[in-house]
Order: sequence, then structure tokens, then C-alpha cells
Amino acid sequence: MTLHRALPLALLLVPALAPLQPAQGPATAVPGPLFTDVTASAHIEFVHQSGASADKVMVETFGSGVAWLDADGDGFMDLYFVNGAPGAPNAFYRNNRNGTFTDVTTEAGVAAAGGRAYKTGVAVADYDGDGRPDLYVTAFGPNLLFHNNGDHTFTDVTAAAGVAGGADEWSTSSGFFDFDGDGDLDLFVANYVDYRLADNPYCGLRKEGYRMYCNPTPFDGTADRLFRNNGDGTFTDVSRQAGIANPAGKGLGVAFCDIDRDGDTDVYVANDLVRNFLYRNNGDGTFTDIAYAAGVGFDSNGKPQAGMGVDCADLDGNGFPDIFVTNFADELNALYINRGDGTFDDASAMPGLKSGYPALGFGIKLFDADNDGDLDIYVTNGHVIDNIQLYRPGFSHAQRDLLYENTGGKFRDITDLAGAALRTPRIGRGLAVADFDNDGDLDVVMSSLGERPVLLRNDTTPRRNWLEIKAEGRSKNTAGLGATVRLRTAAGVQTREINNVASYLSASDVRLHFGLADAPAAARIEITWPRGATQVLTDIPANQLLIVREP
Amino acid sequence: MCHRSPTLKTSSLAVLLFCGSGLLAGSTATAAQTPPAAAAADSLDARIARVQAALAAGSGRPADAIRELTAILAIDPKRADAHLLLGMAYRMTGSAEMNGEARAELVQALDLDPDLVPARFLLAQLYLDLGRPAGARDTLTAGLAQHPGQPQMATLLAEAERQLGHPERAMELARQALQADPSLLQARYYLALALVDAGRRDDAIRELEAVAAAGGNPADTNLALGNAYLDAGRLEAATAALGKAVAADPARADSHLALARAYRLRRLPDRARAQLALAKPAVPAIGIAHNPLEAEFYMELGLLDLQQGRLTTAAGAFQRVLEIDPGNEAAARHLEEARRRLRAGSRPPGGGRR
Repeated sequence: MTLHRALPLALLLVPALAPLQPAQGPATAVPGPLFTDVTASAHIEFVHQSGASADKVMVETFGSGVAWLDADGDGFMDLYFVNGAPGAPNAFYRNNRNGTFTDVTTEAGVAAAGGRAYKTGVAVADYDGDGRPDLYVTAFGPNLLFHNNGDHTFTDVTAAAGVAGGADEWSTSSGFFDFDGDGDLDLFVANYVDYRLADNPYCGLRKEGYRMYCNPTPFDGTADRLFRNNGDGTFTDVSRQAGIANPAGKGLGVAFCDIDRDGDTDVYVANDLVRNFLYRNNGDGTFTDIAYAAGVGFDSNGKPQAGMGVDCADLDGNGFPDIFVTNFADELNALYINRGDGTFDDASAMPGLKSGYPALGFGIKLFDADNDGDLDIYVTNGHVIDNIQLYRPGFSHAQRDLLYENTGGKFRDITDLAGAALRTPRIGRGLAVADFDNDGDLDVVMSSLGERPVLLRNDTTPRRNWLEIKAEGRSKNTAGLGATVRLRTAAGVQTREINNVASYLSASDVRLHFGLADAPAAARIEITWPRGATQVLTDIPANQLLIVREP
Repeated sequence: MCHRSPTLKTSSLAVLLFCGSGLLAGSTATAAQTPPAAAAADSLDARIARVQAALAAGSGRPADAIRELTAILAIDPKRADAHLLLGMAYRMTGSAEMNGEARAELVQALDLDPDLVPARFLLAQLYLDLGRPAGARDTLTAGLAQHPGQPQMATLLAEAERQLGHPERAMELARQALQADPSLLQARYYLALALVDAGRRDDAIRELEAVAAAGGNPADTNLALGNAYLDAGRLEAATAALGKAVAADPARADSHLALARAYRLRRLPDRARAQLALAKPAVPAIGIAHNPLEAEFYMELGLLDLQQGRLTTAAGAFQRVLEIDPGNEAAARHLEEARRRLRAGSRPPGGGRR
């Protein structure tokens, strides 16, 4: 039974923490999103180290993730960068609330520089329900779980929690969600291939400078892992019994969505050169891979693609999440439109998306870049073969990002119009979005292989109205991960999920962001919490951060 | 009627798996025994049986089987037999880019049903095709632990061991397989390859001639036989055998290349060049180990050019070999020869520019 309750006591309306920009009224000319590279002025000095070597060790080229989290609970998103090479420290930047950041890695204790693992991705969630977001770092080697102590420090609790995964596993994207509905957050970890440093094949011409990174075809896949939260700070590996341990997988990207809108969270895994998986949550602690039935495993010719990153969200406004997967060069990125009946239409060949064909996509986020009320697509690109120009003249290692504006369910490449920063080639890998300056629009951070990351501030004008929602769950799922929010304005209904898991190796702002275009208020907001309660709010003024507590 | 092939190329996979070889244990075999006509209801079992029968008979296109099997898996993604057949159908497309998916399906089949021996067998074959004999060995060893002495798995294990550089072990395994089933041409074929590797060329020729005479897979057998004849200096016999290999599978570059070599050695340059034109390897995909045939192709081209006095192009071909394989001493030696003759302005004895 669905609960419809008016719960004013459970609702706090909080003004945005930064000065609000008033809505500008109906725009006559719409220049679209504009992003400015503020990496330097924000004092982000981290430089990624890939560990690139003449041996072309595969993991060197897959890069690392980046995460947004409000570690100290001050309402501003802090930044965590994963480094690649063994021994190279990760970096943690505290948000100074003035557009700059301070490197606090050492005092926070999250450098993760020990050991010989190549670090890869990062997930963020409050796994123990103490109200503070924790960090999970994946690696080619043992993964790490850092518990947030609440005093600006973290403690490595991997061993006690039992979430290291296999000592030789190559883990990639990961994320927390309550798969079994018991109120605490479980952990899904995608694994890539069975790769051994000592058994690194030679690929490419045996000519000086021509050795290239191998593709995954010669290597076996490895099963992903699902760790069930025991509720006491420990986890149990339930991968096989849950039905997600397909050993054929070569997972790189993971996204969570309630694909069938049945109230629980489903999992999509983007695999590299084998078909992708769509695990439907059966609601009983198990999953069924419905990729064949749903039509989201292959391209339109029935061939597997080289899936890298993935996000899922409602792009066409029908209330059901669609799926966007970034793929290899000479492949279209995949767009699967959810028909709402368990099947999807492959819309990858939509004319507006064809510019993705020559690019090799990694990080991807579906978000409302211009606050016009629909979700746009941001993709960061970069080839995996660092000497690709020797083999494919005209191709390059560094590539430009792609930004597609949603125009009523169709898309338009507006990269060239969105600022000089988007025209700068980079070796894009991780990507995450957050409103780091709390000004009501979503900013972008990207990791770049072997380079400084890029922080893009959203400077879109004219400014449109917006609303952000921070959910506070009553269970150990303190961020309300998995809640579905339907926001109605005169323009229609937007459906989103509270969920920071998507893209490639990365984690985004857990606060939910809506663009409201010209609407001065949300007429109705309906929140369906993971444990089933539904909360309805009406006439919520725009341009504020709304903190909503689970009833 | 069942026909056994000496090798396990895609077209023969179905025959091998469905022809009373002892690999038929498991759910696939059970389904195979269900006559399609008896499956009145369009159950998944019946649909799988129809696909299986079509694949075994070589009728129908792999694409049709793939479509039907994915539809079946859409209904029940946990059908190990459907995953097995889908892996097989992907293999039968002959598309290298589908090999990864074929392997994925076979792995899933085995994950769902570890006793599905045909999946293990096909997976081992894929490993060999991917140049991963160690993976094949591990897979087959596990299979033999389930079915000790199974001659076809022992046969394939022999080939894996040969590729791992253990010809003596390979011969031992192949002989064990032949002891269990003397009619197993494939075991005799792999035995011959192991004999070649062990330096026992004449013994190998005898085995290969026996396989060829018994009507074993003519493409592989005659290629191996032709190469052995070439090595023995029996050029006319080599030409005949390689001609049969080419006729059996005109798409195989390695056979054309070997035939070109035979013609060159017989000083029939026009015929050699015609074969080389059919042997040019495709541009390799990005991120894979380089195709060794490419270096062999340029080496043969260089030798033919050198023979015909085309010294500049010969030098270019040898340089190309060295780009692909800088450690190739023969190419370096021939390149030096081409350059020396270029410097001297010499003409090849008995040859000349056309």
C-alpha cells in the first residue's frame, strides 16, 4: 500500500547555503550551458599518476575515479581523487566554501598509498548509518573501505568489514545500495578481467614505440561481487546466491536504477567487449539478469560493445529510467530508451548523438546542465591506446568531451557552445557532478589519465530556477539512497532517484538536483522512500536546498 | 551419418558434439535426443532441441540460431544448454569479434552447469584459437577430472601441451587418445604436429598422409602436410598438398602463403605472386597481439622480390618484417643481401626484371 501523508514536521525547508541567485524569468534567447575551468583557481593541484610503463600494463590506461562527498557535514561537497600507480597517493580536498579547496589528504588518512595495488575507483555512502559518508576505494588488488570518523579523519576498516575482494582482482566501479530492503547499505563491486602482471601479452607491432595496450579479448572475465551489509560493520559476500556472479563479465561501469519502478534498485553493468548485464532485483535478495529480454545487452546488430561508463535516468520524461553507455571509438555510445514494459528501444543511432562515434567514452552523467527541466548528457573521452596515432592517423589519445542538450527527448551536440574548457582535449576517465558552490547548478569534475583533473564550474546564464533535495533516511540508509522523487511543475513531471552511483569509477553529489526552468515553485513533490513510505510536499518555492526527512 | 574431423574448426564443432563421441553427457545431450516433431508444445526444451538439431545438421544460419537462443534466454536466462548453444552459434558465425561473446556464453553455461562437458570442450578450443594454450590446458584438465580418459578431451589437451612447448607430453596424450579410439583422426593429426615439433618430420609425414588418406579435414591436414613436404624439399608433393588445402578452404591466408612459398621454391614466380595476393593479412584490430602471418607474408613477399631481382621492393618488405618483428634474423640477413646487391647493381642469377 502506498502511503500519502502530509508530514510537515518531518520536513525542513532550508535556504541554500550560498547566496541564491533569483530566477531571471522567461528567457528569450537560450545560449545553453556554459562551463568554466576553475581547477587552478580552486587550488586543485592533484596530478594523476597512471604508472604508465613501456610494458603497457593494461591497468595503467584505465585511469581512476573521482568522488564528491560532504565529509564534514558542512553542506559543501568535498572532493576525493583516486590515483593510479602503486604508491601514488589519492588526494582529498576539503571545500573551503568560497570556491577553493584545501588538500587535507594527510590529516584525513585516505591517501591509500601503501601496497602494490593500482587504485581505480571510488564509491561513497554512509555504510554504518552514523550520518557520515564513508569511502570505498577499488583497485587492481585489495579494495579499501575508509570509515569516516567524524573528526576530519578516516580509518581503514577493510579487514574488519570484509570487503577487500580478491587479492588479485581488478575491481572497477562500485556503489552502495540497499538491495535487500533491510534498511542498511550493501555494496556492489564490478570486476574487470583476470589479469596477471606476470602474464602481460605483447600487443601491437614489435617496433620501438609501437607496443600498445591489449584489448580484453584474450583475458577471462571475472565475476562481480555483492557484499551484504550485516548491520554490524561487517559484510558477507552473497554474490553467488544473489545471482550476480556471472564469471563472463568484464565490468567497468555500474549504475543503479529502479528500472521497472517496482520500488527496489536494479543494477546495470557495462562490460567491455562482452554483453552488458541488467540485473533486475527480484525483491527477495536475488537478481535476474534480464539483459536479453530487455534488449540492453548488445548493440542493434546483436554485437557486444566495449562498454566503459554508464548512467541511467529518465531522459524522455516517461517516468522510467533510460540507460546511456559510453563505448569504444568506432562504436556509438548506447542509448537504451525504457519503454516502461521491461523492454528498451535502442536509440543509439539518433542523429544528435553520432558525434560520439569516433570518440572513446568513459565518464558519463545525465544531469540538467542548464536547469531547463530535463536531463542532458555529459561524456568525457580519451583513447586507451596512448600511441593510437601510429595506428590510426587522425585519432588521438586525448579527446574532447561531449555535451548533448536534451531537446524534448532528442539530443543536440552543444560541446562547442559550452565553453573553451570543453574544447580542450584530455584523456578523460572518471566524471562526477555536484553543486560544489551551492549556487543551484551542477558542476563537473573529471579525472584525466596522467594529468591534472578538471573542475568545471557551471556558469550557465540566464540562470533558471532550481531545487535541490537532501534526503535524510531514518534507517541506516541515512542518505535515502534508492528513494524516488517525482517533482511536478506546470511543465510536467520529472522523475529522479536519489543515487550517487553511475558514470565510470566515480561518485556524484548525493543531493538530488532539479532544474525548474521558469517555474517559481514545484507544485508537488512526491518522495517514495526505499522502505515504502510516500511523502508528498506541495508548493515548494524554487531556488533552495530542501532537506527532507523520511517519515 | 557422423563424420569425424581431424580438427575442430567451427563447421565441425556441431558434428563433434552431436555424434556419439562420449561428450554428449549432460543436458544438451538430453535435449538432442528429443525429436523436434515430438515437441508439440512450443516449450523451451523443444525450441532448444530444434536449434540444436539445426546446428548439428549444419542447416540454417547461425544468425537464426542466435536470434532464437537469445529469445529463449530472454525467457529463462539460466538455461545452461541455451548458453552453450549460443556460444557455439557465435563461433559458427566465423567472426573473430564474436569470439569474446562465444567464450562468455560458454563460461556462463559452465557456471550454471559445471557438468556440461561440451561447453568445457568448446571453451578449450576457443582458448587455443585465442593463443592461450594454458587456458585450454586448465579447462581440459578440469574436464578430464570429470571424465577420465575421455579421448577427445585428451586429444585437445595434447594440442594444448604441444602449443605450450611440450611435444613429448603431447605425443603421449595423443597416443592415449588413439588407444582409446583408434579412429580418432584428430588425435592422429595432433600427434603429427607434435612429431614435427619434436623434430621427427618423416614420422609426422607418415601420420599426416594417413589422416589425409582417411579423409580428415583437408584444409588443416593438407596444410600441415604441405609444410612438412616443403621442409623435406619435396616441392611437387608440397604443391599438390597445399593446392588441396587451398581448395578446401580458399579463405585461409596461411594456406595461400604456404602455396606461394612452394611456387617460389619451384621458381614459378607468377603463381607465387598470385597466391600472395590472396594471402595478404587484414589490418589487425586495435589492441591485440600482432598476427604472426603478417610478418610471414612480408617475408615471403621479400623473398619472391629478391628472387626476381626487385631489390628495392624486397628491401622494403624485409624492413616491414623487421618493423613487425625486430628480432627476425632471417629478415635482417635478407635485407642486408638486398642492399648489398643494390649497391653492387647486381642482377639475380637466372632471374631478371619483368
